Amino acid sequence: MKATLGRRLIYLFMMLVVSVPLITNYTVRPAEMKAANQFYSLVENLSVGPNDIAFVAFDFGPNTKAENEPQAEVIVEHLMRKRIPLAVFTQYAQAEGFLTSIPERVAERLMKEMPGEKWEYGQDWVNLGFRPGGALFVQAVAKSTNIAKELDKDAFGASLLQIPAIQNVRTLENVKLLTQFTGLVGVFDTYIQFFQNENYVPSFGHGCTSITIPEAYIYLDSGQLSGLLEGIAGAAWYSELLLQNNPQRAPDAALVINTALGVAHLAVIALIILGNLVAFVGSQRRPS
Amino acid sequence: MNISWEAATVLIGGVATLAIYSFLIKENPFYRFFEHLFIGIAAGFLPVYTIKSFFWPRVLEPMLGYHIQVYPDGTPTAEYDTKILFYILPMLFGLLYYFIYSTRFSWLSKLVIGFSLGYSGGLAFKGFFAEMVPQLTSSFKPLLVPGESGMDWAMSFQNMFFVFTLLAVMYYFFFTFQRKSVAGDGVAASGRWLMMVCFGAFFGSTVMARMALLVERLQFLLHDWFNEISGII
Repeated sequence: MKATLGRRLIYLFMMLVVSVPLITNYTVRPAEMKAANQFYSLVENLSVGPNDIAFVAFDFGPNTKAENEPQAEVIVEHLMRKRIPLAVFTQYAQAEGFLTSIPERVAERLMKEMPGEKWEYGQDWVNLGFRPGGALFVQAVAKSTNIAKELDKDAFGASLLQIPAIQNVRTLENVKLLTQFTGLVGVFDTYIQFFQNENYVPSFGHGCTSITIPEAYIYLDSGQLSGLLEGIAGAAWYSELLLQNNPQRAPDAALVINTALGVAHLAVIALIILGNLVAFVGSQRRPS
Repeated sequence: MNISWEAATVLIGGVATLAIYSFLIKENPFYRFFEHLFIGIAAGFLPVYTIKSFFWPRVLEPMLGYHIQVYPDGTPTAEYDTKILFYILPMLFGLLYYFIYSTRFSWLSKLVIGFSLGYSGGLAFKGFFAEMVPQLTSSFKPLLVPGESGMDWAMSFQNMFFVFTLLAVMYYFFFTFQRKSVAGDGVAASGRWLMMVCFGAFFGSTVMARMALLVERLQFLLHDWFNEISGII
């Protein structure tokens, strides 16, 4: 009974502690992330021709939304700021809602920030929807000689040959960047393995959840990844980089979530130290 | 009272979140109901969504010619493409799998299983090389890295540590013959300790991910949900 009560008190304590920065909207400057810097430089220095595009895979659902959604938002924002056309799609059915909401939200925010400028569906981005098939789908795109024709229609049933953002995309060489956000290692592997042809491998940026960070470093070290966003911390630092280079930009949720996460970490460390102290003192008092 | 669809979604989302968190107090029917609801939604979502967004618009609709509209003058918007009927062949082949329930014709299902094993094996073979070869080559790191003025000792030490970790962990899993030397045991023990450090990093990052989920849910409850509730009250 005593142990159960203690456990509940810890849950309550954690919730209260984490709520403070969320209620007050308090943010601290996030820690610099080397891999996120790499990702930023990759997008910033990307040179695209009139027929080129960036592919953005939202392979995440509500279960990893906390980390993957802010990552996806900052990358979509950066691509839109650079006026690089992008195609969003998913191999994970539950991500369908994000394919519509994230680009629309980012475009809306940018248009508010820069009155007079326009970001439109079809011109700046295209929603390819849910694409089942796993490795077979990825291979089909990589080997295609007419990607727009191969993918056929967008999520709303319109022919891709009529959509300016993608109508002239022919081969994999036109895909200058692939970015993928997921908590699922299996889906990520299919791009590493098959999104390439004999002569060309597009630059690949990845956003992972905190759980898979140690594994993602292997791909970063081997050069298979050109950039990485490590959980919410990576998204927060990327957001900070966007803010530094666009001072008029309004801060986003990534910074607040990252601050609250930092507070949660401090609380966990404090509780571990306290728990060990209590256990140590208790063992000293107990008769041997 | 007029509640929009978006507001209703937020309100139900908040109640569902609180129901799941109520498990932290104790197991209860409120939690159990929403747990079953989530499992049901997750299980039903994929087949329904696959049919709705892929199987119907990309396979069945063009096969049945339902995508072709007819103008008032009787002209169709597109010609029926008979090549689409070839889709029936792989479908029929896939349906042979159900012969697994027949004693007499179960050999037909083995054709499908054999085909699946063959293509999966081929994909895995190709995928393995595409994924692992760059990692293997990147593990060949120079132990002494020249810097701009003299040696880059920091990078050299990093590479030495990497190579030692790689060899020590590989040696720990080397069971072909018995290890007898003290040095060999030491290397294997180091490999084990280094793996422990790695598991610690994995555990730490798992805690971080779980905390991120908590933060996102609390942000939803404190901002979106609370705003909707206060709007209604």
